[in-house]
Formats: sequence, C-alpha cells, structure tokens
Amino acid sequence: MYSGVIRFYSLVDVRRYLKELLERYQKDYDKSSNVIGSLLRTEGGKGMEVIMSKGWAKVGSMFVNVSDPDKGGMEVTFQLVSEMKPRISKTEEVLKTFESVEQLPIQADATFLLYLHGGIPERLVIDSTEAKPETFNLKGAYTMGP
Amino acid sequence: MLETSVLIENVDGARLSDKATENATSNYSLNVSLSERDRGSESLVLSFTLELTSQPQTARLRVSGSATLKGSKDEIKEGITAPDDSRPPPVLVAIYERIYGTLYVLSGALKIPHPMPNLLKKQS
Repeated sequence: MYSGVIRFYSLVDVRRYLKELLERYQKDYDKSSNVIGSLLRTEGGKGMEVIMSKGWAKVGSMFVNVSDPDKGGMEVTFQLVSEMKPRISKTEEVLKTFESVEQLPIQADATFLLYLHGGIPERLVIDSTEAKPETFNLKGAYTMGP
Repeated sequence: MLETSVLIENVDGARLSDKATENATSNYSLNVSLSERDRGSESLVLSFTLELTSQPQTARLRVSGSATLKGSKDEIKEGITAPDDSRPPPVLVAIYERIYGTLYVLSGALKIPHPMPNLLKKQS
C-alpha cells in the first residue's frame, strides 16, 4: 500500500483526501470480504481450510503457487482483508480526531505535507515556507487559423 | 509528463441570422475564460468557457466544462503559462483541440461556418 508524501494547499483539502481515502479502503474491504464470505458460506462448515492453499513453494525469495490458483488467490485475498482492518480503523481514528488539528493556530498561507506509511496517514507537516501557488485565472480573446 | 483531460459540461450553439451559411468564410473571434476550480499537489482542475462569435455576428458557439492537468508542480506551471504574450498557454491549446470535434459537428448541424482548427494568437 502507498507510502509517500502528498502536499495540500488547505486543511479542507487534507480532510477531503482523508475522507476519500477511508471510503476507498472501506469499498475495497467490502468487496474483498464479500468474496471470502460467499466462499465460506458456499463451503459451509469447512472453516478456514477452504481458503488455505497447500500449493505454495518458496522460489527465490517469494512464495509461488502454480498448483492451486483458486485457493491461492483466495488465501491472498484473505490476507489482504486482514491487513485492511487496521488501516481502516487507523484512518477512521485520524479523521475523527482531525478537528484538533484544525483548531491549531495555522497561518492562512500555510501548506501541508501528509505522510502516509503503508496507506496510513501518520504525520502532517505544516509548512509556511512553501507558498500556495497563485490561483490561476485567464481571460482573453484569440484568433483561429487553418 | 503532463496529462490533460477535458470534460465538456455544456454546449450551446445559435444561428443568429439567415445569412449564415456553411460555405461562408470562417471568421470567428474566440473569448476564453479559464478559472481554477481545484488544486492538489500533482493536479489542477480548471473550469473553462470558450465562446466563438462569427464576424459579422451570424452565429455563436459556446462550450464549457473542466480540464484536469496531472503532473508535477513544474509541469503544471508550464502547462498554464503562455510561451509569450501573444500565444495561448498549452492548456488552452489542448482544450481547443479536444473540443474542436464538437464545434465542427455543431457548426455543421447549424449550417454556419466551421471554426478553424488551430488557435493562433491572442488579440491585443
């Protein structure tokens, strides 16, 4: 999942980004967990062995599955779902408490660097040295030619 | 590399006189309005309105919508900066290129002169 730094030109933009990020995570989670859930229901009573593949072999520094692609695919989807849960709850928590960031005394022309680690918003740098670009507007008359 | 995508949101055309014909010489003046709608660290969304009025005033075409530029801060700056005072900025050239097909079809349907395909220079 994404790690990096994103610059924003207002706190409103940061909040909007966090909200969209959370929505995206929840959508991905719902989609993947529905796949897992429907398989477990279909194979009723068999438990987790339904999605645990025995076809893994270590090749180089990776695990490779050539003999059992259906279960292998399901197993990595399950792993993905497990990793999504903490990402969702951390992002939810950041968004819930974001008001406390908004209440900080921040210069009107400040910009914001958001640091994401493994998809989780971990740090915010309030930067008053990098000015927001001037708002772009253009009005004019032009001619056209062949 | 800068990516520019254009979304047309409104199209309006009017045949203002019976004297307008498809075969008349194309002589439009173009009034442009671009304004910033949203800006991110690697994107810029502009609202645009392009209004073409024929001279003499026998026809009018107006297209509005949004253009999204995606790229680095420097690439975006380059995209919105005119190479000199008389030429249009690259983003305006891109918008005109993308909407030209619509202008061509609309002018044909209204039986008014087709606008020329290239933006040339800024009128002083």
